[in-house]
Amino acid sequence: MCQVSGVIKMALRELSSLERFLGLKKPNKYSSQGGKKVPVLQNNNGPALIGLVTIASHLVREAKRPELLGDSAERRAVVQQWLEYRVTRLDNCSKEEVKVILKDLNQYLEDKVYLAGNVFTLADILMYYGIHHIVVELAVQEKERYLNITRWFDHIQHYPGVRHHLPPVVVLRNRVYPSGHY
Amino acid sequence: MKLYIAEGNPQCVKVLAALELTGVKCEIEAVSHEGERLYPSSLSHSKQKVPWYIISQLMSGHEHNGLFACLHRYLFDISGQKATDATNEWLEWEATSLQPAVLQSLHMVALQGKRVEAAAVMKEPLKWLEQSLSKINSSFLTAEAVSVADVVLWAALYPLLSDSCFDVGELRSVRGWFERVGDLAACQAAANRVLHGKGVEALKTFLQKHPATQTQRRDSPTN
Repeated sequence: MCQVSGVIKMALRELSSLERFLGLKKPNKYSSQGGKKVPVLQNNNGPALIGLVTIASHLVREAKRPELLGDSAERRAVVQQWLEYRVTRLDNCSKEEVKVILKDLNQYLEDKVYLAGNVFTLADILMYYGIHHIVVELAVQEKERYLNITRWFDHIQHYPGVRHHLPPVVVLRNRVYPSGHY
Repeated sequence: MKLYIAEGNPQCVKVLAALELTGVKCEIEAVSHEGERLYPSSLSHSKQKVPWYIISQLMSGHEHNGLFACLHRYLFDISGQKATDATNEWLEWEATSLQPAVLQSLHMVALQGKRVEAAAVMKEPLKWLEQSLSKINSSFLTAEAVSVADVVLWAALYPLLSDSCFDVGELRSVRGWFERVGDLAACQAAANRVLHGKGVEALKTFLQKHPATQTQRRDSPTN
């Protein structure tokens, strides 16, 4: 049970960091659903909303930042794909799964600045929050092996207003960034 | 746009139904689920990422060539039905709660013939769906008209609920909704195309090649 309450606490902290990133003035009220580790948004004007991705997308629309969900149908689908990846694959993945995820993500990011290509979206924020506990544990050699993840991660943790509740992860930039770029 | 569908992949039902319902024009190519042949080289990375999903190839040279996991959302999006809080909520529930149970249940039915155990796995998500549907005053999940949420949930449940030997109890609201969605010609066509009227049996080869995923193991009561 301890683990469950830890997960839900993380999700709630994540949502309040997202609220601050979006500049939403009035903090929302959250709870969790039953014994599950799913966040619930208590909404005064309508029914409660259940689920991390659902609530995060709702906040983005509330803040009138629809571009964070994608500015075209293609990009919206890519953003959704990564949001779904976050809650179905990344959350609670086993130790063996972590390696597969790191390898895949590293390969995917090889030719991309952000998850949805060349623009920053909600996918970067939620993937960053979700993968932080994994990256923080990586040894220096592993950070170098997953170079593209490290570069993307460092980029997102320095993106204005994103990091909030999470400690920064030290990245040796001279290794991660080819000489001349920094 | 070109869509590659793997024979007997249960996930194909939802995409084909979405395709029929939205009327989006798309070339469909059926591929075998034998290793690499399923994946054009440009999409090879997607193979490991989400093996369950169908791969689609958008306009050639497109930045998002290889978009696959949320194709049903994409199809509804380009046909003018935007995502809402309500559809998002159902789709997230489908991906995180319903789908792991469905896959585990399909494995039990198709590969082990354990219908009773498989029905037990489905009990909790179906109870949640029954409770939610009984409180809804509209014909479909989010409105009087069918939405992406109805299609996706129906398609996920179809192989199990269309099996008359699969006993999940009464579930009056679920049955009523399931029949309303299933009556749509688009859904019928999609189900026939993937299951060929053979039910879960048609998914057997595919399920054998795709053992239980990490999500299923996590939710498995034996683990």
